[in-house]
Amino acid sequence: MSVPTDLRYTKEHEWVRIEGDTATFGISDHAQEALGDIVFVELPEVGRSIDAGEAYGVVESVKAVSDVYAPVAGEVIEINETLESEADLVNSDPYGAGWIIKVKISDNNADTDLMNPSEYESFLDE
Amino acid sequence: MTDLLKTPLFDAHVALGGKIVPFAGYELPVQYKDGALKEYTAVRDGEAGIFDITHMGQVRVEGKDALAFLQYVTTNDVSKLVDGQVQYSALLSEQGTFIDDITTYKINDEAYYLCINAANRHKDVAHLQKEAAKFDVSVTDESDETTLLALQGAKAQAALQTIAGFDLETVGYYKFARGKIASAGGIISRTGYTGEDGFEIYIPNSIAVEVWDVLLAQGAVPIGLAARDMLRTEMGYALYGHEISDAVTPVEAKLMWITKLDKGDFIGKFIGQEAVETRKAEGAQKRLIALKLIGRGIPREHYKVFVDGELSGEVTSGMHSPLAGGGVALAYVKPEHVTDGNLTVEIRGKQIEAERTTTPFVRSNVRK
Repeated sequence: MSVPTDLRYTKEHEWVRIEGDTATFGISDHAQEALGDIVFVELPEVGRSIDAGEAYGVVESVKAVSDVYAPVAGEVIEINETLESEADLVNSDPYGAGWIIKVKISDNNADTDLMNPSEYESFLDE
Repeated sequence: MTDLLKTPLFDAHVALGGKIVPFAGYELPVQYKDGALKEYTAVRDGEAGIFDITHMGQVRVEGKDALAFLQYVTTNDVSKLVDGQVQYSALLSEQGTFIDDITTYKINDEAYYLCINAANRHKDVAHLQKEAAKFDVSVTDESDETTLLALQGAKAQAALQTIAGFDLETVGYYKFARGKIASAGGIISRTGYTGEDGFEIYIPNSIAVEVWDVLLAQGAVPIGLAARDMLRTEMGYALYGHEISDAVTPVEAKLMWITKLDKGDFIGKFIGQEAVETRKAEGAQKRLIALKLIGRGIPREHYKVFVDGELSGEVTSGMHSPLAGGGVALAYVKPEHVTDGNLTVEIRGKQIEAERTTTPFVRSNVRK
């Protein structure tokens, strides 16, 4: 199970890449594996404000419907529209082409519960 | 809670990376290691998919009154069958609602074989044995001794021919033959639940692993429950517990084509016939339709269906169809909405536009 070292993770198996005031969200390798073949992704609208922990979209596999939750609060600045036609990118490249949205991080992000890669690996082993 | 049953192929499923789930009282693979979509694609794109459907039940009906008995307990006209022919049919309650949908295999005038749904097995057998008391007929549940495999897809015949002791070319659509299969004997019918050419294979448990291994060696791709459901939903085939149940009759379920109100020489009425006739005359409260989403989304079971903004019914089976290129579903709606009004499906609080269509949702390749 791949856990890149440059990301932070949540207990709901989302990852976040923080670069300056921008954060990119996606779901982890473990999450895509557990969901199985992803056939549909519902994306939020650009401009929407999302709280940390809020469901911002939906990922659907052949059999299951799963909400995806924001690791940090922010305003949506970009959505991965490619997923509308190629939802399987979330399976094949969950940390790369399978990213879901980018947000401009809000000022009011309190210290959140993000895990570093080694903490997330321990969490996966539990 | 009762223990879940394992089929003779349980270890084979685990060895192939099968993700095991409880289904109809059995532990069965929902998918194997490459996932449901690849399995679905293998069957649709010219390979052969192999399915362990041993959970389905088999009942032997034998005796002088076998035909009269089956005319009485099943909806279809059994007198139309020739030896070696299969017929889609149903068992109804006195209320005209479904006890089960079944297939009837005619061996000869005094011997038939029924294939029934796993979840309904004990209910079906109890019903059949109770009704059999009025006839010179025996009803034997052979489910525990029988392994049932399906081999579906363009390469199915070539793969199966390597172990069939008879020419499969002579077995037509909805026909079957009995004879040698691998090191024992069994029944092979040209039937299935996928819309592809293919077979269902009834064998004794003792050769289940042998047959499975040979067919895998012939290139057959193991298919789990998830891909099986995708394949059947794309064909618009009914599934017990979804489109049909003990709450609907053939009138609602669009299954009057297997419900023969005039069976020619058969004197009397089959169980549930009067109720079906009444329902037909009075009109159904809901009817099954096929729909395709125009907007984006997946119409899933129990999602609400609206017509001109009015709640009309709900989805019974739905999926993202790779071949249809979007969401497709079977749904019950009010009778007045079968052909008229603007259709929408409510997905997470939003009304997503849909249009009525016909089944199968994608092209069927069964060999008629």
